[in-house]
Amino acid sequence: MGKYVKLALAGEGGQGVQSVAGIITEAAYEEGHEALYIPNFGVEQRGGVSVAYVQIADEPIGSPKFKTADIVIALSDRAVRRTKKYVGPKTLFVYDANIQGVENDLPTNAAKILAIPAIKVAKEELHPRVFNIVIMGAVIGATQVVTVEKAKAAIEKKLGYKFEQDPKLRELNFKALERGIELVQGQV
Amino acid sequence: MAEKPIQGEKRAFMTGNEVVAWAALAAGADIMYGYPITPQNEIMHYWTRLAPKYGRSFLQTEDEISAGFTCVGGVLAGKRAFTATAGPGNTLMQESMSMAEMMRLPTVLVVCQRGGPSTATVIYSQQEVTMTCFGGNGEGFRIVYSTSGQQDLFDYTIKAFNTAWKYRFPTFVLGDGYQSKMRESVTIYDPEARGIKMVPTEPYVGKSGMPGVDRDPSHLRNTYNMEDELYEVVMEIKKEYERVAPEIVEYQEFDTEDAEVLVVAHGVVSRAVQGAVKALRKEGIKAGHFRPITLRPFPVEQLKAAAGKAKNVLIVESSVGQLEKIVKHSVYGLTTPITNYFKPGEGVTVEEVVEQVRRLV
Repeated sequence: MGKYVKLALAGEGGQGVQSVAGIITEAAYEEGHEALYIPNFGVEQRGGVSVAYVQIADEPIGSPKFKTADIVIALSDRAVRRTKKYVGPKTLFVYDANIQGVENDLPTNAAKILAIPAIKVAKEELHPRVFNIVIMGAVIGATQVVTVEKAKAAIEKKLGYKFEQDPKLRELNFKALERGIELVQGQV
Repeated sequence: MAEKPIQGEKRAFMTGNEVVAWAALAAGADIMYGYPITPQNEIMHYWTRLAPKYGRSFLQTEDEISAGFTCVGGVLAGKRAFTATAGPGNTLMQESMSMAEMMRLPTVLVVCQRGGPSTATVIYSQQEVTMTCFGGNGEGFRIVYSTSGQQDLFDYTIKAFNTAWKYRFPTFVLGDGYQSKMRESVTIYDPEARGIKMVPTEPYVGKSGMPGVDRDPSHLRNTYNMEDELYEVVMEIKKEYERVAPEIVEYQEFDTEDAEVLVVAHGVVSRAVQGAVKALRKEGIKAGHFRPITLRPFPVEQLKAAAGKAKNVLIVESSVGQLEKIVKHSVYGLTTPITNYFKPGEGVTVEEVVEQVRRLV
């Protein structure tokens, strides 16, 4: 059996989970894998939990949504509650260490639960706006679904037009990606 | 003449809505008539972005009733015209599509099924099967392709134009919100590069020559005064529909040869069923999958043959029996027990299908 990873990413509208899912799957596709990304679309833009479903495999992928994810990433308290149902005994559950008051809402059946300080790192070391790229780094660090090079190429493709105006943004985004990878290193 | 939108073949990573726009371009569609509705919007967005580059047109109408009828008008003028909609928009377009049925107009309509009656959800379902196959007043003499993903959307959008213009029946591409919004890989191509010849279009009205002298007069009616007059016309359409149906019918079979449980599903759900069949076979459970690609006309004989060999038939769909109705009608007389797994407005996963099949063996 080749590579097959199922990811559910969830956050508040505007946190950028859909962008992250788009970039990761684009990178996976460019790397020659089969990839499928579907957003849970509805009224999330008007305030709600935004969920992205990502599958990366070496074979054509079946149904767009799935029951149990290999990795669940939740970026807000509501996202933690919303994504519990995608957790199974083999799931790695990642949430942001900054989220308060979810101690009793964390899944009890996960293989591993990991709190990472993505929001803090983005705010203090980088820029709040690259928070989602920190998360993307964490996903890549945890799953190795794509190489860092392809991830960077995909970021370049998506944000290249912005980098042209301000090359410092490129550096900032790449740094965010690497910090994200570091955050999960040795923990998964 | 603008250059071809797609040269040869190329791989791409796209949403289904983007795929439909590219397919319509590749098929040489002249014009799209549209009115926005989720999850169909981006077909319009991509089309309006791409069409001007290749000398194609777009008309946004005031509602779906108008989008359907302007599409009918475009076809009458000989344009390779299409429209796309979803949910309540599909409801409103049934009026124009039944006119197309009566007048044998090759309209093409892409349906991105959303959930539930009325406005309901903007997400996904398979609840527009009955309406797309049999909606409107009339008998449902139309062609409906149910797609299961990006490649199908590309292939069958192109094919829909050819089927429509070859047989002159309104033709539908029945996708859904998942396919519209998901991104996956697809091979897009210039039909000609694959030896697909686009059926030429011709106007129904304003033809050259003197009617009755140089050519037959165009006889365009959707109103009849007499019962027997209507009877004759409808029976003529029926006869023609039944004659061409065997040429149009399409289906796929996965491990049906020795299948003890035959799972019948269409569209995106068939992807979960295929995954389930693979998993079940590994466990030694003889499962198979029959996927009707044309829901109208329906692959009746082929399904009967596959179902007749099985010990159980399981129908899986994201609606409450819209596919089941067609299946039961088609296999009438069959003694193999039929059960179902219905999830209206919700996606079906591999694990669920596996569980349902295990229950039967």
